[in-house]
This record gives sequence, structure tokens and C-alpha cells, in this order.
Amino acid sequence: MGVALGAGLAVSIAGIGGGIGMGIAGGKAFEAIARQPEVGGDVRTLLFITLAFIETLTIYGLLIAFMLVGKA
Amino acid sequence: MIFGMWDGVLFHLGPIPVDHLIVTEWVLIAIIGLFAMSATKNMQVVPRGLQNAFEAIIIWTYDFFTQLMDEEHVAKKWAPVLTSFFLFILVSNYSGLIPGAAHIQGFQPPTSNWNVTMTLALITFFSIHIAGFSEHGGHYLHHFVSPSWAMLPLNLVEEVAHPLSLTVRLFGNIFGEETVVAYLLFMAPFLVPSAMMGLGLLLGAIQAIVFTILSASYIAAAAGAGH
Repeated sequence: MGVALGAGLAVSIAGIGGGIGMGIAGGKAFEAIARQPEVGGDVRTLLFITLAFIETLTIYGLLIAFMLVGKA
Repeated sequence: MIFGMWDGVLFHLGPIPVDHLIVTEWVLIAIIGLFAMSATKNMQVVPRGLQNAFEAIIIWTYDFFTQLMDEEHVAKKWAPVLTSFFLFILVSNYSGLIPGAAHIQGFQPPTSNWNVTMTLALITFFSIHIAGFSEHGGHYLHHFVSPSWAMLPLNLVEEVAHPLSLTVRLFGNIFGEETVVAYLLFMAPFLVPSAMMGLGLLLGAIQAIVFTILSASYIAAAAGAGH
């Protein structure tokens, strides 16, 4: 019971943070491209790298959840 | 038995045990190799068909790495490794698109096991330092103590964190997606998993691109003029 709750909380709390971060990063990138369409390529590459970094944190949460479920 | 991995050793190659994942990788490498060979068999000045597609991939990646790394000779040196990463990870991610494949031995995508992704990340790890040393020689060591000596432990942690995060990102994404598809197949076998599998199509391509871009930017940072 406790392990299942912990696994759920691990992935959901990690998801909240990652979701907020990705939303801000993506929104700002779209703003930048809308203002200056000619830098679209550069911004897109940077956005991909940034999203990958943010996403890793969420994936760490997912990993902990898998580990907890595997242990139970 | 950790993270859905079987200890199903098929046969031994000398002292090395060969399991089904390695055989799957061999098959994928053979598929990529056969495509590449048939594309370059009788090349023409005006490319058609498969040769055209491969030339488009090569030109696109060369341009992209040159733009990312700023220095053309570094990009030219490392583009073959990075493009191979991209092609192998893409084909490997897509090999799990058969419904429920993640739970049949031999059809599991190799990148959903972290032994495979850690191997790829270790290749990147050594590439970073080889690129750094071959560009700057012994001077490359200065970047480990770059603002001051007090930063040495933190810099070393960073060097370990790069391959670790590459490993976990690729493995977690592909394994997570396969697990979700498997659960959906178990709960509602018809039509419902197709939504997640459509997302998986996008995710497989994005993860291949992300792994390649991050490897390229780490190599560029080590080989660049900043150190």
C-alpha cells in the first residue's frame, strides 16, 4: 500500500514540476519565434536541449516509481 | 530480473554470454547496413530513390552539426559517429512498434534496456574526452579546474552526470512508453493503445534527435574554443 502510494507520488510530483517547466520554456520559445521568425532554427535546437534536460528530472521520478513497483 | 530484462542467454561467444537483445541489435545493424549498401551500390551523379534519401540524411546532419559546433573540421570528424547514433537509435526505437512487442523475448526494442543505452552513453563519454584531448592536447585538463581549483569536484561530478543522464533519459522514455502500451493492451486491447503508439512514433524520433544533439553539444563544448 505504502509502496504503491510512493510510486504514484514519485511520478506525479515529478510530472508537475516538469510540466510547469516545459510549459514556460515552450511558451517563451514560441514568443521568441513569433517576434523574430528568422532565429527559428536556433531557438528550436536550444528548446530541444532544454526540454531534454527538464524531461530527465521527470524520468528520474518515473525510474523511482518503476523501482518501487518492482520491489513490491 | 530488473526492469523487464530477461536473463535469457541464447549462446556463449567464447566467455561472453549473448542474450536476445544483442541478437536483436545485430539484426537492426544488418538492416541499416543492407539499406546503406544497396543505396551506395551503383551511385549516380544525379541521385534517385534510396541514394537520394541517404544523401539527404547525410547533408542534413552535416549542415546541422556544422551549425551546432561552429568549427567545420570538428563537425566533419564527429558527424559519422553522431549520425550512426541517430540512425541506430531511431531504428531501435521503432523496432518496438509491434503491439506488445516489449514483452516478447527477441522483439523488445534494445533501447528499452539500460545496458544498451549505457553502452551508447559511454561511447559518447569517451568521444567527449577524445575530442577534447585531440583539439587542445594537455591544455584540455585546464577545463576541469576552470574557474578555480575549488570547482574540481563539481566538474568531475558533471562529467559523470552527462553519460548517466543520457542513459536514463533514453532508457526511461522508451521503457516507459513500452510499459504504458503494454498496460493499455492488457486493459483495452482494441484501438485504445493506438493513441499511445502514435505518441510513441513521435517519441522515438524525438529521443533519437535529443540523444544526438546532446552528444554533439557535449563534444562541441569539449572541442570548442572556450577551454
